[in-house]
Amino acid sequence: MTLAENLFENLRLELRRGCLTLAVLAQLRQEHYGYTLRKALAARGMEIDENTLYPLLRRLEAQGLLTSEWREEDKRNKRFYRLSADGEEIFTRLLKEWNDINTAISNLL
Amino acid sequence: MELLDRYLQAVRRHLPWLRQDDIIAELRANLEAQLEDKETELGRKLTDAEMEAWLKQLGSPIQVAARYQPQQYLIGPALFPIYRFVMRLAIGWGVVIYAIAKTVEIVAKGQGADGLVAAIVHLPGMVFINAAVVTLIFAIVERSGAQIPDKFAQGTAMGDDWMRVPAPPYDPRLDGRKKPKTYAQAVIEVIVGWIVLVWLLLVPHYPFLLMGPGVIWLKVSPFQLTPVWWTFYWCVVVLNGAELAWRVIDLLQERWQGPHHTQQLVKQALGLIPLLVVLAAPGRELVVLKNPADLTHAAALAQINLWTWRGFAIIAAITLMQLFWMAGKMSLDAWRRRLAAR
Repeated sequence: MTLAENLFENLRLELRRGCLTLAVLAQLRQEHYGYTLRKALAARGMEIDENTLYPLLRRLEAQGLLTSEWREEDKRNKRFYRLSADGEEIFTRLLKEWNDINTAISNLL
Repeated sequence: MELLDRYLQAVRRHLPWLRQDDIIAELRANLEAQLEDKETELGRKLTDAEMEAWLKQLGSPIQVAARYQPQQYLIGPALFPIYRFVMRLAIGWGVVIYAIAKTVEIVAKGQGADGLVAAIVHLPGMVFINAAVVTLIFAIVERSGAQIPDKFAQGTAMGDDWMRVPAPPYDPRLDGRKKPKTYAQAVIEVIVGWIVLVWLLLVPHYPFLLMGPGVIWLKVSPFQLTPVWWTFYWCVVVLNGAELAWRVIDLLQERWQGPHHTQQLVKQALGLIPLLVVLAAPGRELVVLKNPADLTHAAALAQINLWTWRGFAIIAAITLMQLFWMAGKMSLDAWRRRLAAR
């Protein structure tokens, strides 16, 4: 990887990092467990590596933005996540921020 | 499945033990669902080779487990600039003191080239120990910061809830052009001050803490220090103790932001006392012969006394100049403020 490619990759990851949280919060307005959430996000064009997504879910839950419960589905215990009340409020505010940034960038281009 | 079990077992070993079961159960459910999808897509079970390739693609167990750990630094971005600054000071001054001590030792013992080579060989060891001690202290401070983030956060990466930290108290005496001292910096100063004081108090019992291997030379050498060094030593101890107390009071009264020019001026002035004690030594005798009747080393003794006294005289002169400079600067600032207020 050349220096320029490396720089681009770092900047791309930095740009994506905040978006991932927003995408996960958006998708978890509906209940999902880890793998189906990953598939749902990928189906909408937001591919997330499992090593990033699963720990992220736990961090968001620890921050109080998600709630989770273990439940059996297809004869297998799975941990289902969804947005908490605090998470919904934060998501609304983040979404507004995201839209403002989008508008600002569009105005700049 | 056996490969997946072994993979999960390897991941488990690197997870925080309190959450191991929970994380592994969730990871297993997700990976098994993913595996089922793959097998449905293929219409058959994965071969061992395909399974191995898939697990390898997921990442090494250590890497996977690491993502579940809280982000940790040995020394985080908030402390790093101070760490780098202290490290430079510790290594720089360490080398200077070592060079002076070794030069005196080589000259006094007439070691010549052998002594010089030995000193150079031991230099990296001394630098390494200095660096290790500084790193250890900062790592402890970093960990303390992570444990009590509300005290250390101050809008840095150490804490994640900086909004709850009360803003540092406003102090109109602060120099607006300089960045105010953070709480973490003030705490480090207190810790370092305390370590220096402990070190000073231990020196009479363990002279090698000050002189290193030179202590052996001191024992076998024909020279000994005069009592003026005890006066000098206690002056230094008292001054360090007073400075430490001053810093603790500043911290407790939430006046850590500094720099307080008056404090610095007083400190600089008091710093002259131990130097003057040495300079006022009767007959400028700082080192004497253990056996005054043995005049073999009289010439070396005269040289040691002369150059040590001159060294202290130079340091005192520099300190005095700094004192005048600071006093002048303070007067100038006060005059500017008066003009601006008109």
